[in-house]
Amino acid sequence: MNWRHVHLIYLREMRDQLRDRRTLFTITVLPLLLYPLLGMLMMQVAQFKRDQSVRVRVVGIEHWPKDAGLVETTQSLDGFARLTAELEREIGSESVEIHPDAWPVDGSVDHVVTLARQSLTTSDFDAILIVEPEFEKLLADRRAKVKDLPPQPSSDPPESSNSSTTSSTATSEDVLSSGVETDSPGLQVVANMARDRSQLAVRRLQNVLRVWQQRWVSQELSAAGINPVLVEPLAVKQNDTSETSMRRAMLWAKILPFIMLVWALTGAFYPAIDLCAGEKERGTLETLLSSPARRREIVWGKLFTVATFSMLSALLNLLSMHMTAGFIVEQLASQGTPQLAEAFGRLPIHAFGWLVLLLVPMSAFFSALALAVAALARSTKEGQYYLMPLLLFTLPLVTMPMIPSLDLTLATSMVPVSGAIFLVRALIEGRITEACIHLPVVFGVTAICCLLAIRWAVRQFESESVMFSESERWNLQSWIRQVWRDRGAVASPSEATLCGLIILVAMFFSQFIAGPSTLAWETLAQRAVVTQIGLILTPCLLMAIFLTRSMRQALRIHPVPIDQIAAAIVLALALHPSYVLLGQAIAGTIQIGTETQRVLETVARLINAQPLWAVLLVLAVLPAVCEELTYRGFIFGGLLRNNGVLRAVLMSSLFFGLAHSFLQQSIAATLMGVLLGVIAWRTGSVVCTMLIHVINNSLSVSLGWISDRQVALPEAAEWFISIDQGQWHYQPAWITFSVVLSLAMLAILWRRTPAAERLAEAELV
Amino acid sequence: MIEVVELTKAYPDSISGTFKALDCVSFQAKPGEIFGLLGPNGAGKTTALRILSTVLRPTSGIARINGFDVTTHPDEVRHCIGFVSCNTAIYDRMTAWEMVEYFGRLYGIPKDRLSERMHRVFEDLSMMDYRDIAGGRMSTGMRQKVSIARAIVHDPPVLIFDEASLGLDVLVARALLGIIDQLREQGKCIIFSTHVMREVERLCDRVAILYRGRILASGTLAELAEQYQQHDFEELFFSLLNDSDRDRKAAVAEALKSLSTNGAGS
Repeated sequence: MNWRHVHLIYLREMRDQLRDRRTLFTITVLPLLLYPLLGMLMMQVAQFKRDQSVRVRVVGIEHWPKDAGLVETTQSLDGFARLTAELEREIGSESVEIHPDAWPVDGSVDHVVTLARQSLTTSDFDAILIVEPEFEKLLADRRAKVKDLPPQPSSDPPESSNSSTTSSTATSEDVLSSGVETDSPGLQVVANMARDRSQLAVRRLQNVLRVWQQRWVSQELSAAGINPVLVEPLAVKQNDTSETSMRRAMLWAKILPFIMLVWALTGAFYPAIDLCAGEKERGTLETLLSSPARRREIVWGKLFTVATFSMLSALLNLLSMHMTAGFIVEQLASQGTPQLAEAFGRLPIHAFGWLVLLLVPMSAFFSALALAVAALARSTKEGQYYLMPLLLFTLPLVTMPMIPSLDLTLATSMVPVSGAIFLVRALIEGRITEACIHLPVVFGVTAICCLLAIRWAVRQFESESVMFSESERWNLQSWIRQVWRDRGAVASPSEATLCGLIILVAMFFSQFIAGPSTLAWETLAQRAVVTQIGLILTPCLLMAIFLTRSMRQALRIHPVPIDQIAAAIVLALALHPSYVLLGQAIAGTIQIGTETQRVLETVARLINAQPLWAVLLVLAVLPAVCEELTYRGFIFGGLLRNNGVLRAVLMSSLFFGLAHSFLQQSIAATLMGVLLGVIAWRTGSVVCTMLIHVINNSLSVSLGWISDRQVALPEAAEWFISIDQGQWHYQPAWITFSVVLSLAMLAILWRRTPAAERLAEAELV
Repeated sequence: MIEVVELTKAYPDSISGTFKALDCVSFQAKPGEIFGLLGPNGAGKTTALRILSTVLRPTSGIARINGFDVTTHPDEVRHCIGFVSCNTAIYDRMTAWEMVEYFGRLYGIPKDRLSERMHRVFEDLSMMDYRDIAGGRMSTGMRQKVSIARAIVHDPPVLIFDEASLGLDVLVARALLGIIDQLREQGKCIIFSTHVMREVERLCDRVAILYRGRILASGTLAELAEQYQQHDFEELFFSLLNDSDRDRKAAVAEALKSLSTNGAGS
């Protein structure tokens, strides 16, 4: 790798992109204009919404108590009445047009309600308030009740209480509302809540009534000789431990990574198309390919360019949006909504630092992905089509951290992109220790993703069929004929991937077809057989029959030297303690839900009640044979082609892990799958992995079975296992020794005879 | 010095299984010589020259340039060739000078020597007038000259021209042939592919006629005239193509016949 070439290519591509008007516009000018424009629009809408007045008709205004009026008695010329000056002062800027109306002559309440419903649809009122004739009497009753109360020794009202909680404040409404529900309500609102304006009208009306009631109560209490201070709302003083900047950080920390990464992706995609498909289209790619720069160097040069634009685009959007939001918030604060201003104020500077830190690896990842995808396109037009699949793949990863209840855990830290966002959010919120604990996993996952994406991009550039693909007319019939004619001894990588996906989809749908589980051994065994043979082995065998020429080679059934078979058996025995420990460690970090726990215990009881041979056959031998033939046979062999050792090991173990139903099982199986994959690669056969799989499963099942039945073990076994009240454990000495033994056995399995070496080489073609 | 031995390039094909763009092609070209590769469109000229420039890898066979194998030593090969093809365009958003300088620096030429060399190349090709014009605003002829300047900036011993005169007007094409002629006089080994017979007659020391991935005939023009008793080169070319087609049809008929008799026998 010649970094001087990379540097030269980077400089040239940067200059080229900066000379392109379209790129410059979308990357720099657009964000600088977009957010201020959007902000202006938002302000206008907010203004409009605030100034918008609602029209409320009040039927039966004469029933309203005269001594505590709702509206001024003098009507204005256009028919609507002003709220009383006191009310208006307290309600503030929200405007409600009240149209007072008299109660119709001889009208019952029901009749008035019906009329109101009709008039709501025909007239342009947003809500109608009906004041029943009883209303004034109801109020009078309440007043009478207050006066009836025997005087009680009163304690000092707590004027303020120190509490860190943000509980709701008690209002006079709560104090007095108890008597209202039992009687006729006295007031009715008719509104069409499917309409925005009606909702707004009802909300404002409720506010008016609340304020009115408070005034009325105070007035009444004063009249009765009680100090109205008693019913004044409790003012709860809030002592929030978080600083303002932290609260802002929390809000922004949810929104900003999403916006930033979406822009990082789009910012990467368009330059990537221009640098791959665009160059193909303009014919300059071949010029570059015949220059001294190697493909790898070209990819790195282009990757740095794309990543630069991705980061620039994300940063400019971030800054522009944040600054515009800041201005809008200041504006809002001056117009009387300080809470909003408080929540969306300027983000502390350290948060920006963390966001930029997140941006660097994410831009690298997105850029490599975009580059690899864009390399497939023959023209920029074709390239545009690939944005959708790319978004479909990445958007869920970016959106996942917005789900409210999710936070940084071991499980979420393992998800690419999302894990990094969770980590950065924890950093912004100041949870440094928590972030440090998960940093290695997030770093590892992110690094692996970046490297794989870059590797893919390099492979795309090294592939002749990608670089020099010519459009050909595709025809289903000739394609099928071609697939049949050109089928090889082993599946192709894409066929192997397809097989893994088909199995996953089949398993997903079988869940619904299987229906509710009646927990009995028969159904359990039946389901195991259906899953293993029907859903895993059958697709694999069918594909092997129709897509390959040799079943034996496609399933990788090759003889293995006797010493390696022995080593595999010993390895399986020695590996089991580690596998059990791994399972416990996973169960310790990711808690199993109580429901699942209960199901698992029932299943264990069912299993332990059966004869051992049946249990071993259904739960050890059957899955081992089917899964190994599929995952370490057909799928592995296909993925191994074209030098895909890493691809075969990782993807086969991932497919293997996903085929397990519980998350805990999936993680353990994926890790086990990696080891089995390595062994399958080195030995060139499924025989050893099948043995290991059978023995591993058998040990898990039979040790549980034996300890549950309290069967006495031979004395020699006590060196390995202790059984205590139906629970079994490996002896610590054996656990330690088993690790050493496993490594030794792995060394034996790693060796290859010359014949095996030849076979392995042939598999990589 | 170019050495090609039994070079084959096969592609998977949806109709016939594999399509051989090149089928056991062998030829040689020496320094100070222009070797012509003549053939109709789709004959495999571009594939052969793409393999020589290491952009494509051969399915089988050997191709060596200055003793370096294109599959095992592609980096060395790229350093000693200059490749001009109708598919190697120049950058629209770079000036002629920037373009040539960029490639010169990729070839690792030190800055002072590069500037000296570029001045010479630009003057030789009389390109000084438009050294600061962006590629997007150049005429086809100007672009082709920039391509040539780009290909010879590192003074390579071997030059590969693939249909370099395609789309050029008569004047520019004539100038191009003049330039190539000069390069031969400098002792370069030049391989020149075309489907225009007059260019071959005017320029090439030796020629190979390529058709459907195979070489039908090769040698100097005089040798070919002697061998096929035909002094009109155009007539010679067409009669070779016709013979090849006739042979192919006969072979196909033969194969079909044997297939049907075998089918009847079994």
